[in-house]
Amino acid sequence: MNEDEAYEYVKSTLKKEMITPYHSDELTIVSSVSRCINCGLCINHCPVVAAIGVDRFSGPRSIAVELSRSPPEYWSTADKIYLCTGCGTCKEVCPKNVDIPEIVNLIRARIFEHRPDLVPKGFMLVNEIITEHGLAFEPWADKEEKEESRDMRLEHLGLPFIPDIVKEKADVLFYPGCQAEERAQEVREAAKVILDLFGVDFTLLNEFSCCSLPSRLMGNEIKARELAKRLKNKIKKLGVSKVVTTCAGCTSNLADLAERDDWGIPTYHLLEFLAEEIGYARLTQALKGKRLSESVHISVHDPCHLIRHTSRRIMDYAMDILALIPGVKVTASEAHDSCCGGGGMVSYHSKDVADAVVKENLIALEETGAERLVTPCPLCTAQIESNLFKSGSSIEVDDLTVFLAQKLIKE
Amino acid sequence: MKLKSDILVIGGGMAGLVAGIIAAESGATTLLLRKGQSATAYSSGAIDIIGYLPEATEPFSAPSEGLAAIAGLYPLHPYGVVGYGDNVAPEEVVDTIIERVRDSVVWLKDRLEGTIASVVGDFQSNFSPISILGTTKPTCLVQTTMNPGDIHEREDSVLLFAGITGYPDFNPSSASKTYLEDRIAMGQPPHKVGFCMTKIMPFGKSFNISSIEIARHLDHKGSIETLAEQIDVQVKRIGATHVAIPPVLGIRHALKSKLELEKAIGAEVFELLGFPPSIPGLRLQLALEEVYTKAGGKLLAGHEAISSSRKGKTINSILARSPRREISIDTKAIILATGKYIGGGIAGNENGIRETVFDIMTVTGEYHSAKDIVPSRVTHRLEISPMGQQIQTCGLSIDPQFRPIREDGLEWAENVFAAGAVLAGYNYSVEKSGLGVALTSGYGAAMNAVDRIKGVA
Repeated sequence: MNEDEAYEYVKSTLKKEMITPYHSDELTIVSSVSRCINCGLCINHCPVVAAIGVDRFSGPRSIAVELSRSPPEYWSTADKIYLCTGCGTCKEVCPKNVDIPEIVNLIRARIFEHRPDLVPKGFMLVNEIITEHGLAFEPWADKEEKEESRDMRLEHLGLPFIPDIVKEKADVLFYPGCQAEERAQEVREAAKVILDLFGVDFTLLNEFSCCSLPSRLMGNEIKARELAKRLKNKIKKLGVSKVVTTCAGCTSNLADLAERDDWGIPTYHLLEFLAEEIGYARLTQALKGKRLSESVHISVHDPCHLIRHTSRRIMDYAMDILALIPGVKVTASEAHDSCCGGGGMVSYHSKDVADAVVKENLIALEETGAERLVTPCPLCTAQIESNLFKSGSSIEVDDLTVFLAQKLIKE
Repeated sequence: MKLKSDILVIGGGMAGLVAGIIAAESGATTLLLRKGQSATAYSSGAIDIIGYLPEATEPFSAPSEGLAAIAGLYPLHPYGVVGYGDNVAPEEVVDTIIERVRDSVVWLKDRLEGTIASVVGDFQSNFSPISILGTTKPTCLVQTTMNPGDIHEREDSVLLFAGITGYPDFNPSSASKTYLEDRIAMGQPPHKVGFCMTKIMPFGKSFNISSIEIARHLDHKGSIETLAEQIDVQVKRIGATHVAIPPVLGIRHALKSKLELEKAIGAEVFELLGFPPSIPGLRLQLALEEVYTKAGGKLLAGHEAISSSRKGKTINSILARSPRREISIDTKAIILATGKYIGGGIAGNENGIRETVFDIMTVTGEYHSAKDIVPSRVTHRLEISPMGQQIQTCGLSIDPQFRPIREDGLEWAENVFAAGAVLAGYNYSVEKSGLGVALTSGYGAAMNAVDRIKGVA
């Protein structure tokens, strides 16, 4: 038996014993667990614990000291591990920065591979859609209907239509993310309006495909790596020099993939791109003399994937940019350690948990007295909007990209 | 990404936030980086100045007494350093130390007034709040909700320990026994102590409940009345004048809850000192952050300082890293308040003990090099002595301006100041001086940093 054969032999034994070896790029995550000092500070800040209590969701400390240490019997954690929204609050408050959200993904990946019967049924439909279409949402059956829906949204928002551009060697790839590609089309269109307004040389993907985050979150690691590879090939083939997205989840995931898979090009959220590449001077100039007569009182929701998974600076940019728009009054929400509840794909199987998590935000939001909530993530937008609607609130929700585009276009 | 600030504080515990508040209040643009929360967020919420001398068994009755002893015996203790300066005559050192520590205590009390962590107590004397184990410890300030009032003075005082069914941190039966034995041995009131269990069910269950759930639950309107009804019966049963409950009275509205409870049951109510991470520690952390932000300081959580660039004798920029971005920060002065082993400012492994941000020289409590101290070799029984575990006193050595020094005794950089647990020469767990040293050194280091940037400008 040569070395390769020996390796294959051992691998098959591992499979029998329900062990999946870690990828080399996962080792820093695994070793971060050993830094846990079992203090429990994270429990005080976990929004899921706040919403449903430690008896139902045992909390981040339990993930670090108990659930992560149950190999190969990870399946025994299945009643808890799927309730984490992956907001990253625990990792941020942890004095040792134990990477709980990624540990959750590693455990889910092992359950998915060895005990698919325990994976929440709600994931399976999404998994099928991703496998079939390379998208996290079922694509429109009728292309014309999709366009009609898009045009209706644009008309309602008063935004012009900028035709799609697909070309090689553009400076920027605009990557809208599945939600904006298939559902919240207005976000995709608004970003194009903004990029066009500033004369950015941009392109879209010829055929859009998912960034792989949903597959990672549900534990389909093989699919996630396949999608990541597919996306890298497309981006490399286009020959762009940077990637810009409007989705918070895509922002952190693309940054992760770019580093892990050596893309060699930077990835930005649109807010970062505006602040760092376009600059406040040009933004101020562009806002001059535009449709700014009406004043509006807003509050801002910070997406977890921007503030805790990428950098809090991005939301500082958001506040800076909002401050440039005359007539916009911003009141900060008092919801600390909050999460919209839409993270970690929790709403796909335990909607009551996701809704309990978002409730904290809704209460704090009502207290701000704001008439509108803006957030730079179409997924947070959808999650908060549907919960506000159900609670009978009159507060409206906008994706920040759409809000900004409306302020930038001509009367 | 790029940022700029006059003063950059690294670390967001007591020392860092106090320094940040001083800096921001002086009008300097101030940025505070924090990679995670610190030992302050864990603390019991009691602000100790100085409780014991190492090896001593009798606590100090007042901080001034302890500080005078420290100044005489341990001149290089961070409190000792407070007393040095170009304009301080040798015979004034002790008075200077006492005055400067008093100033910072008065200042902190004032800043916390009206926040969710308002404090009682003063610099004139230590008092002895009770812990959830039934023991007492000397401290200078406690949160208003934790004030045991006149329990130890009133001859007729009767204390009721009220536990919560399904909350495992607190066993009122055992705490009341420990506490009463202690009081009998001392021959001091209260002479009667009782205990009871109450039911608080944040999620409708009376098992597997954590502090944070109870605290959040009691913050909600109406929940305190249910608790009051249960305690009232027990207060009447034993004729309690005081009621001790675990530190879970609320996050935002704890003081209001205490007053409501007292009104309903006709006895004084106070929270006990709890295990880390306790709710009063969380309140203190949040309150300090609020004071800092209101003073105009900018808090950047989730960012870790990873490298620096030097220009001559000063550090003029720091590279900070968030999970997926890097920021270069230009600054005129830096306050290093990164903590010790929990906060991560000092780390020890098989290669010795080192400072984690700048790799500045570390020393032991006796001011020898700590470069080759291997923590795993000092874990045997002899190391656990009344003097305290020796690695607890390791850290940075500083000059009278609170600037870390090099092997040759000169400052490591002209504009880098250090404060809090990152400093060597004191052992908070033996001395009961943790938050006090953090407060005083944060206050002093920031004053010096402010002076420096004003001088340079």
